[in-house]
Amino acid sequence: MTTRPNESSDGTWVVVPAFNEAQAIASVLADLRRTGYQIVVVDDGSADATAELSMRAGATVVRHPVNLGQGAALQTGIAFALLQDADFIVTFDADGQHRADEITTLLSALVVQRADFALGSRFRGRAANMPNSRRLLLQAAIWFTRATTGLAITDAHNGLRAMTRRGARTISLRQNRMAHASEILDQIAASELKYVEVPITIEYSPYSLGKGQRSSAAVDILVDLYARALHQ
Amino acid sequence: MIAKLILTFLLAGVVLYAWHEQGRSPLVAKLSLIAATAGIYFVWVPSHASDFAAWAGVGRGVDLIIYIWVVISLLVMLNLHLKLRVQLELITSLARQSAIANARPRKTRPRQPATSRSPHRIAAIPASSRTDNASPNNKPPSTGVSTKASATNG
Repeated sequence: MTTRPNESSDGTWVVVPAFNEAQAIASVLADLRRTGYQIVVVDDGSADATAELSMRAGATVVRHPVNLGQGAALQTGIAFALLQDADFIVTFDADGQHRADEITTLLSALVVQRADFALGSRFRGRAANMPNSRRLLLQAAIWFTRATTGLAITDAHNGLRAMTRRGARTISLRQNRMAHASEILDQIAASELKYVEVPITIEYSPYSLGKGQRSSAAVDILVDLYARALHQ
Repeated sequence: MIAKLILTFLLAGVVLYAWHEQGRSPLVAKLSLIAATAGIYFVWVPSHASDFAAWAGVGRGVDLIIYIWVVISLLVMLNLHLKLRVQLELITSLARQSAIANARPRKTRPRQPATSRSPHRIAAIPASSRTDNASPNNKPPSTGVSTKASATNG
């Protein structure tokens, strides 16, 4: 049984980065609203009605004037939540592949295990309908992340994570695109704060697979990660 | 002689450019500096260029100089790419500040100020999170914005 760390929920903000998610955002936010936590949708310059639907669904909307990438959207959401005095910040994908009820599990892990980061792991939990190509790509990413960060993680590029205010203040994402998922793990390792992995469920759908990363994105991520190291 | 002077002038320009870029892109600057200096040397001592070219297996010395020029061009292109990335970071920072300043809050009851939150909720926060200043790992806020957002949740 999990304990809910924050009955009033005022201090927990769920950050949902979204780009052209009009098809899924309403149902995702409806599920999130049931948790009672504060929600901020970072609309990353969508051309569709993502922002309007999010407002209508009861979320606070922070809108990038241009499309910058998921990493940039996450950092904006984290910055916004910190400015609202958030005590806990949760990152949550907008494509419907995460389960809102598992947020409480992540937050409980932070409190019970006195950690600053709770990272969702689909490989400790369940990954429904995951294609084999995605599984292979993720295994390569996990191996790479373990080798470069020293973190003994079982999942990488998982968008469901929770952090304390102190943890969030050590995160400063400069990778605008998908390399942010590796960058955040680098920064967690560098912070030397405690992290825990929490089993979660990811349910792949044709929609989420269509919105997700292509295999070729792995090359872009490597270029982004190492190009960043070439300049001050 | 005219060709030598033109090449020297151009390569000297690369040397200056590389020197200027040392602070921002150290690796690219060093490689450009080495390549341009070697180019100037080989322009004025072509026999060494030919010897080195023969040793490296690229044929004539003039071929070697052309290859060096190609390498320099690629390095300058890489540097331009890196500069574009820096510009993108600035744009991102600007967009973030604008986005947060223009946040559209949901319509709900006014939120309690942080100081009047319920004690049991604060108690639920790990002690480590309540002692930010005491932590050796404490760092300044990494929000990317320097001012409080004008919009609040309520």
